[in-house]
Amino acid sequence: MASEKIKGKATEDSNLKGTLASVFLLGFFLIFTWVSVYFLFLERL
Amino acid sequence: MNETLKVDRRDAKLALAHIYVAFIALALGGLAGLLQTLVRSGKFTLPANISYYTILTTHGVLLGLVLTTFFIIGFQFAAVSRTAGTFSDRVRFWGWIGFWLMTIGTAMTAFFILIGEASVLYTFYAPLQAHPGFYLGLTLVVVGSWISGFAIFAHYARWKKEHPGQVSPLLTFMAVVNMVLWLVCSLGVAATVLIQLLPWSLGLVDRINVLVSRTLFWYFGHPLVYFWLLPAYMVWYAIIPKIIGGKIFSDSLARLSFILFLFFSIPVGFHHQLMEPGIDPFWKYVQVVLTFMVAIPSLMTAFAMFATFEMYGRSKGATGLFGWLRKLPWGDARFFAPFVGMLFFIPAGAGGLVNASHQLNQVVHNTIWVTGHFHLTLATTVVLTFFGAAYWLIPHLSGRVMTKAMNRLAIIQTIVWVVGMTFMSGSMHFAGLLGAPRRSAFSTYGNSPQALEWIPYQIAQAVGGTILFIGIILVLVIVTNLAFFAPKGETEFPVGEVAETAERTPLAMENWKLLIGITVALILIAYTIPFIDMIQNAPPGSKGYKLW
Ligand code: HEM
Ligand SMILES: [Cu+2]
Repeated sequence: MASEKIKGKATEDSNLKGTLASVFLLGFFLIFTWVSVYFLFLERL
Repeated sequence: MNETLKVDRRDAKLALAHIYVAFIALALGGLAGLLQTLVRSGKFTLPANISYYTILTTHGVLLGLVLTTFFIIGFQFAAVSRTAGTFSDRVRFWGWIGFWLMTIGTAMTAFFILIGEASVLYTFYAPLQAHPGFYLGLTLVVVGSWISGFAIFAHYARWKKEHPGQVSPLLTFMAVVNMVLWLVCSLGVAATVLIQLLPWSLGLVDRINVLVSRTLFWYFGHPLVYFWLLPAYMVWYAIIPKIIGGKIFSDSLARLSFILFLFFSIPVGFHHQLMEPGIDPFWKYVQVVLTFMVAIPSLMTAFAMFATFEMYGRSKGATGLFGWLRKLPWGDARFFAPFVGMLFFIPAGAGGLVNASHQLNQVVHNTIWVTGHFHLTLATTVVLTFFGAAYWLIPHLSGRVMTKAMNRLAIIQTIVWVVGMTFMSGSMHFAGLLGAPRRSAFSTYGNSPQALEWIPYQIAQAVGGTILFIGIILVLVIVTNLAFFAPKGETEFPVGEVAETAERTPLAMENWKLLIGITVALILIAYTIPFIDMIQNAPPGSKGYKLW
């Protein structure tokens, strides 16, 4: 499905680099939070 | 796509009636919330022997169930009427029947809570037992909402018949998905209320299977949070692009994410019962996996939002990695309030992943962390989006316009909410990590050192709660102005258009037999075996308790 969307129709203003950076930042934040609480869990075992 | 640009006046009245009840619930429930934070700070006691748990139940029911359901149904009636055309008299008539059933049910429920006969909290967990009137009132609310759901289905079916081979309007499609989700999940709560709680509270049976009733509740309780969230996503996907002057990134992506919510938001209730004995760990594991699947459409939504904003900003000449952020209409409360809601969904979602992980759930279960979590998801993300929608929806329906002064007040309101919620929810999260329980009045637990650690956080909660209450007063001022006092005029009901670069939407997305079939199959897979186990290997049931 994703590949269908990309093919052919890209124009010069479909630069989505900021979106890519944003979703990476979001992903890192999710991982950071999860790992923080995970270490708290390990500490209290 | 835009059959009518304006919601018909008769449909507008129906939508507005729902929205009025929602904001009355906000006023009363907000007051209860303030009292709770004050009590929990340890500096204040409720007058006249009022129980903390009565106030807490009032707050949870009015805000978690009444504000949400009424606003959502009102908003969806307006959105469907706007995008799929004016209702027939019959559809509107049933909409009013639904409204009155819900309103009478709400009044009944509120009455039994306030006279102290139903302090069972909004999850009404057995073996806590309320007066039968409480359960009957809630039954009326649910039945009323079903009638309104069927009114929407009937209108959608007529549109499909009149437009063979066409893709339905996006907002109408989304409202239909949300009402299907609601219908399928509220069967669970109806079952526990009608088959278990009501006969038990009437004294027809003596004992109740607690695990079954909790399981039926959470079969409903998790999709309930998506029933709240999807209307916010409707605003984000289909309306915000128009408000900022951009385009909907992809119609099919928006529909696909709604379909995934329908599939994966129901067979996951066990993630609220991870600490519950009596459920085989394997089935908890299966439902946790499905829970992580339901994160996917939210991540898709985050992506679509970033992309919508970046495409718009770049079309206005933004450069650099994040230059597009500067092009967004920060001074427009219709954008600003929902945008802040989106931002708060980032920590909210992160907390959700913690809650859903079995081991980490042991750290936070039944602590005030959980309360902090859903004041981010529901009481910030969803509620700020609803406020932002109210800023154009109410004047559109009441034939008025929002003045510059009110828009400024709405921006201030949003900032007040951010500050109050950061204090309140932030300290709830930290106190929860230190073990502070939720749903508990103030206590030092015999001056135990651990409980004394919580007190500074509880004071910060009260500071945040007080600021939030100011936020509630501000939004009530704005909403009253928009409904009754703002200058007369025409306000736009914004509906976004799809970007030219987007792919065409496949019609298969509206194959309801397939969609509902997959939904039901997933529910059966996730629940059948553990549910049979709960009934066959049940311990003796429990008598009812009134502990408040
Ligand atoms: C003035 C703003 C608010 C304040 C000060 C506030 C405060 C609180 C506090 C302190 C609790 C938990 C107390 C405990 O567990 O002992 C609570 C619970 C709750 N709040 Fe709020 N809240 C506010 C707004 C909202 C809003 C806008 C919503 C929903 C739209 C909401 C929904 C809930 C729900 C569902 C509960 C759970 C009740 C229960 O555990 O039975 N709150 N609130
Ligand atoms: Cu859940």
